[in-house]
Amino acid sequence: MSTIPGQVRLSWQDPVTGEQRTPLLTCPIAFGREFARMPAELNNQRVARIVLNSSQVSRYHTLIEWVQGHIRITDQNSSNGTWVNGVLQSSCNVSNGDLLKIGPYEITLMFTLDGTGLPTAEASEQSIIQVPEPDSPVPAEPVAAPANVLPPAFQAHQVVVQDLYATRLSVEEIDYLAVGAGLGSFIWVDFLRIFGAAPQQIRALGIEDRPYARYQRLCLNSQIPPHERLRSNSDSCPDNIWGWPGYALREAWQEFNKGKLNPALQYLWQVFAEPTFAQTYTPRAGNVFASIDREAIRIGWPQIYRFGRVRAIRQTNDGRYAIAYSPGRKQTAFVIARHVHLATGYPVLQFLPDLKAYREQTRDFKSVVNAYEDHNHVYETLERQGGTVVLRGRGIVASRIIQRIHEARHRNPNISILHLMRSPKPKGNRFRKAQRPVDNHFEFQPFNWPKACWGGTLREELEQATPDQRTNLLADWGGTTTADRQDWKVIVQQGLDQGWYQITFGEVTRVVPNTQSRPTTYIQEKGPRGEIKLEADFIIDATGLDSKVKASPLLNDLVTHYNLPLNPAGRLAVANDFELLEMRNQNGRMYGAGAITFGGPYAAVDSFLGLQYTALRAVDGLVTARAPNLRRLNGIGSFWQWLRWAQNQTP
Amino acid sequence: MTPTLLGRWQTRILLMETVGLVITLLFGGGFLGNPEGSVYFWLLQYIIVFGLGWDYLYIQIQNFRWDQDWPAALQWLAAIWEAIFIVLLVEVLGIELPLIPASDWQLGWFIVHYGFVWVGVFIASQSLMRLMFPRWRFRGGQWL
Ligand SMILES: Cc1cc2nc3c(=O)[nH]c(=O)nc-3n(C[C@H](O)[C@H](O)[C@H](O)COP(=O)(O)OP(=O)(O)OC[C@H]3O[C@@H](n4cnc5c(N)ncnc54)[C@H](O)[C@@H]3O)c2cc1C
Repeated sequence: MSTIPGQVRLSWQDPVTGEQRTPLLTCPIAFGREFARMPAELNNQRVARIVLNSSQVSRYHTLIEWVQGHIRITDQNSSNGTWVNGVLQSSCNVSNGDLLKIGPYEITLMFTLDGTGLPTAEASEQSIIQVPEPDSPVPAEPVAAPANVLPPAFQAHQVVVQDLYATRLSVEEIDYLAVGAGLGSFIWVDFLRIFGAAPQQIRALGIEDRPYARYQRLCLNSQIPPHERLRSNSDSCPDNIWGWPGYALREAWQEFNKGKLNPALQYLWQVFAEPTFAQTYTPRAGNVFASIDREAIRIGWPQIYRFGRVRAIRQTNDGRYAIAYSPGRKQTAFVIARHVHLATGYPVLQFLPDLKAYREQTRDFKSVVNAYEDHNHVYETLERQGGTVVLRGRGIVASRIIQRIHEARHRNPNISILHLMRSPKPKGNRFRKAQRPVDNHFEFQPFNWPKACWGGTLREELEQATPDQRTNLLADWGGTTTADRQDWKVIVQQGLDQGWYQITFGEVTRVVPNTQSRPTTYIQEKGPRGEIKLEADFIIDATGLDSKVKASPLLNDLVTHYNLPLNPAGRLAVANDFELLEMRNQNGRMYGAGAITFGGPYAAVDSFLGLQYTALRAVDGLVTARAPNLRRLNGIGSFWQWLRWAQNQTP
Repeated sequence: MTPTLLGRWQTRILLMETVGLVITLLFGGGFLGNPEGSVYFWLLQYIIVFGLGWDYLYIQIQNFRWDQDWPAALQWLAAIWEAIFIVLLVEVLGIELPLIPASDWQLGWFIVHYGFVWVGVFIASQSLMRLMFPRWRFRGGQWL
């Protein structure tokens, strides 16, 4: 690809959504928080204006220009400065591969002075793969509009209920419908039951009967076996709406009953002193699943759940919603519900564009894998033959993979890891008076958001903010972090000291097979070394999941059909109680939960505790709307329901 | 815990004036063989009123913490400090607080009373509050 002088390929990871951005722009290029504050033209040249959302970014922060054969960066008197390769600069020339840091944004600059041979890597919207699913009699929706396979009655803006009966397909009428039947659905149903709804008033449609099935599969793939600990705190209990007793107390009690006093006391100390004086307690995956099984039986989940792949959702002409789904191969059935809850989870997995391209070109799905896919063959092969792994991404999943490879090294010491990071991380994100800690280029935080996002000062602040301010706050609090676990820190330090674990910084320009068909990564290092080459047996992409609603055929159809607004992160726009206001239909209400609502009033939507918060707000909203059989739960009534929980009696 | 200022105030007032009050009334009746009197009741009110001010300080400190949280361990340290503050006022600075005549003040019994009230309030905040007020933990300690 040939380019003209003054063209720069910028590359950064969005701190809010984790997406890769790689625009190719012509100088001058301006960066700032407010589009209108940046100049539209300089010296009769159009300015490419890039808006960076963060309170650490000034309204007009930095300018990149093409001056006398050089690319020059000039800070525009910003409050927090412009950093080039970790050095504060007011104005300087930059070279290819240099790293520009503006607030939480780390932007790699790639260009050639004569304008030729610029790296072509461009992140595409399509750089995604499907979330792994179990073998199912009903395949996933075709990417084409699913409405095609539906009866004409379903094309209407508001479906006429009699028309559905006229199709002679199965029609069921119900008060409450949960779409997805995963953890978000389960938690909403748990609240409904405890607030007074009966099992026969509720239906949950999904493709797996255990509510944690998909979550568990993603955990196992990303190397969290049942005895390993998750990343949520003791009182994030999907089986208990009060969060008491938390998992720490329960685990301490189990250990105590086995006569093991030391671990029991340790868990109690952890929840007492975390995170300041002790490592944060997190529950074992197996214990969480077992507790959900118990609660599922208690609230009658087996009666509530139905197998079905949901195809489309419409309003009805009588103030309800019609849902078309496939209960089996080539079958269609309908549910008509007064109130609907959408919790369909991540539609797709994000895959690094260069890796996706490698797989498509080579059809080799074994050596280049996504951490959320089943990739046990990688560890099995390594344990048998030894080898080198290139690891991409530095979040919690990367930590788990390092731990897994550390274990594999006990069987075969000839295994090494090249951890490829885009840029060094000398300092953590800053927000007002506080800063996030960093060690060995890993940024630490007990959970995926600062704790106060769940129920403290930060939750309140985000809820009260405008949509623009929300994006700023999310950028300040977001970014990739891992948990501050002592065992992980020791493994990383040992690996660095012994040389089997190495960190390399650079921007990947391409990944191609070498003569022995092993994946070879070419990276652009800054400075004179230029391009270097990393050969490996496997590449593991641990960079993340994605939840843009457009990637889900079901949600995409809903958004298009009703012209629903999306929030700035490209997810469903919801009110503070998670209602999709535009879908309100007389008394009928529709709510969203989980990753599909990220970017709105609440940061931690994709977590157990966040799903409980969301469900509580939504069910409170339904109580206000006088939904059938629900009453507000508080005080003695709440305590009474807890006693029933404690005795394992139906709500 | 991740309290907000309003949440701190509401929780402090509620728990002190319920759980704390019951314990205080027992002390007022001399249930541990302590001298009877209204002094415990007034001390409780002082603990609450000073506490409202301390809560403001704690919220400022929270802003320096990345997670803006307040672990149980810090709750205890704060509680110990609040007791020391009252002892400093009375014992070291010799200030006679209105409604607390010097003759009724006894350091030993103050510590015992304060200890009982605080442990009672702490246990209730860790358990009963959550069970009676399911929204409390999401609203930084606001129960109203
Ligand atoms: C590896 C991993 C670890 C995590 N660890 C933690 C943790 O430690 N602590 C924590 O609090 N959070 C954690 N999370 C985040 C979060 O709690 C989980 O992702 C949780 O499963 C989200 O619930 P959900 O209901 O939004 O999605 P899911 O549980 O995935 O449920 C969505 C369901 O909808 C179904 N579905 C989608 N489309 C359709 C359709 N058209 N028709 C029928 N069914 C459909 C799917 O099959 C799926 O079963 C983790 C997430 C991951 C991926």
